Amino acid sequence: MARRGSAIRKTLLFVLALVAAAAAWELYKAIGPEDGGSILGWKLLPRANDVSMPHVWDVSARLLDDESRTSKRPIWRVVLSGAWYSFRLALLGFLVGTAVGVALATVMARFGIVKRGLLPYLVISQTVPMIALAPLVVSWGGKLHLGSWEWPKWLSVAVLGAFLAFFPVAVGTLRGLESASATSIELMRSFAASGVQTMRKLRFPSAVPFVVPALRLAAAASVIGVVVAEISTGLRGGIGRLIIEYARQASGDPPKVYAAVVGAAVLGLAMAGLVTVFDLVMMRRRPPAEELT
Amino acid sequence: MTEVGASAVPAVEVTGAGKVFNPGTTRQVDALVAIDLHVGPGEFVSLIGPSGCGKSTLLRLVANLIEPTSGSVRVNGKPAPQARLDQEYGMAFQQAGLFEWRSVVKNVELPLELKGWDKGPRRQRAMEMLQLVKLGDFAEHRPWQLSGGMQQRVAIARALAAHPPLLLMDEPFGALDEMTREHMQAELLRICGETGTSVLFVTHSIPEAVYLSDRVVVMSPRPGQITTVVPVDLGSDRDLDTREDARFFEKVTEVREALRGHEVDELELARGIGDV
Ligand SMILES: Nc1ncnc2c1ncn2[C@@H]1O[C@H](COP(=O)(O)OP(=O)(O)OP(=O)(O)O)[C@@H](O)[C@H]1O
Ligand SMILES: [Mg+2]
Repeated sequence: MARRGSAIRKTLLFVLALVAAAAAWELYKAIGPEDGGSILGWKLLPRANDVSMPHVWDVSARLLDDESRTSKRPIWRVVLSGAWYSFRLALLGFLVGTAVGVALATVMARFGIVKRGLLPYLVISQTVPMIALAPLVVSWGGKLHLGSWEWPKWLSVAVLGAFLAFFPVAVGTLRGLESASATSIELMRSFAASGVQTMRKLRFPSAVPFVVPALRLAAAASVIGVVVAEISTGLRGGIGRLIIEYARQASGDPPKVYAAVVGAAVLGLAMAGLVTVFDLVMMRRRPPAEELT
Repeated sequence: MTEVGASAVPAVEVTGAGKVFNPGTTRQVDALVAIDLHVGPGEFVSLIGPSGCGKSTLLRLVANLIEPTSGSVRVNGKPAPQARLDQEYGMAFQQAGLFEWRSVVKNVELPLELKGWDKGPRRQRAMEMLQLVKLGDFAEHRPWQLSGGMQQRVAIARALAAHPPLLLMDEPFGALDEMTREHMQAELLRICGETGTSVLFVTHSIPEAVYLSDRVVVMSPRPGQITTVVPVDLGSDRDLDTREDARFFEKVTEVREALRGHEVDELELARGIGDV
């Protein structure tokens, strides 16, 4: 029951943080220099004028307006459906990335030689810039034909999300699988447990507390991966594309681009919420944090 | 005690066994040297000796958790690796080592689960074992909700669950209060008496060793070796009064002197060096 109490507290804190952020925004807008400013010759202070920093209420109001003169849908619906589209891609990327990450970690934990051979390449893989990779994946996908089925562009975007998501999961799970104490491993050995049994009954359960935070990172990574990939592959329908489109109209309609950013934030929150559910389910029988020592 | 028949095979037979950790490095430890140890069927043998003399190491050799550097280890007539695979023993470690993600009863079920027992009989046996260690009411608790001594009792229940013919126990009662300890000792003797289980038991308590054992094996450190074996033979009808027996005290003194033997040697050695 203590956990439910802390959930309420967390929600309250979250709302409070949101209000505080909005207040800070407005405060800076009120006292900050209209055309930016410099400290010790460095141009550091952002411009506080309405083009760069529209009022919180203007952004909120813009969310309720029509998208444009030609499109009569209110912006919040456009943004939300964009976020929903990207959410599904990010979710797919997250799930695929998690599956790949767990599988890689399992093989690496089981075979030391695979670990030594593979781990450096996994680290290097994460240094390849998304912008360079995105067109490559799209063109590879374009060459894939399975009968009449053609590789759709959105699948490339999900794959790029998975590409960023698998890494924290692989590393976290590997650490978790290796975290089982020597005593527990000897215990399993004394019971003549097979390698597979030791994996299932000892190593995987020991890994859970390491996997949960890794999933958090993976969720964030898959969102970033999908949004960036949408932009660099030019995929329509998602929030990444909306941000780019609205940014082009920023000089005439500044609150609009922030409306899209709000959509991206909602998307991130949805993923984080999903992982929190995961967390609660997987950690429900574990000792509460303060007793972990 | 010494019935002739199938059970005449010794439970443990260690001959000329030695163990060197990290050989050839600066961290080399001669943990055990030339160990000969024999545990007869149904016999209760205790290992006692100062900390670091290699008691746990010897137990782990018998359990085939580590390989001896020299010599041979046989359990129930089989080479140690085979005996481990055939689950000829149950082991209670110095640390309870319970799995925090399993309830207490599921921890006790673990060895049965690994052997492929069905759910029903598994649960039933585990509950019997928990009753035995007086933790029946805690079956659905999580290990971290139990005290250290209670966790130790769960570990004992787990070691007993599959009714192994040999028990290897490493200071299993170390964390228990005196009353629980005496209860557990009596229960252990009862179980062994009823089932003919052999026991190799590590302890730091001289009275405990004397009370429980048919023989007490005294060890000395650096390098770990067996110095004395004290036969006890207080009879199989030991009860609480046994501890007030003159014979009991006699044996306690005997073990204490065997333990002190090399301690005195070391003291005299130190004094001798000091005089020079
Ligand atoms: N895995 C290991 N690697 C290196 N040295 C070890 C290892 N295990 C034990 N030793 C060494 O072997 C010696 C005996 O250790 P052991 O744990 O058997 O002692 P013990 O008699 O059980 O002591 P205690 O009564 O404190 O439990 C010690 O000097 C220890 O440092
Ligand atoms: Mg020890």
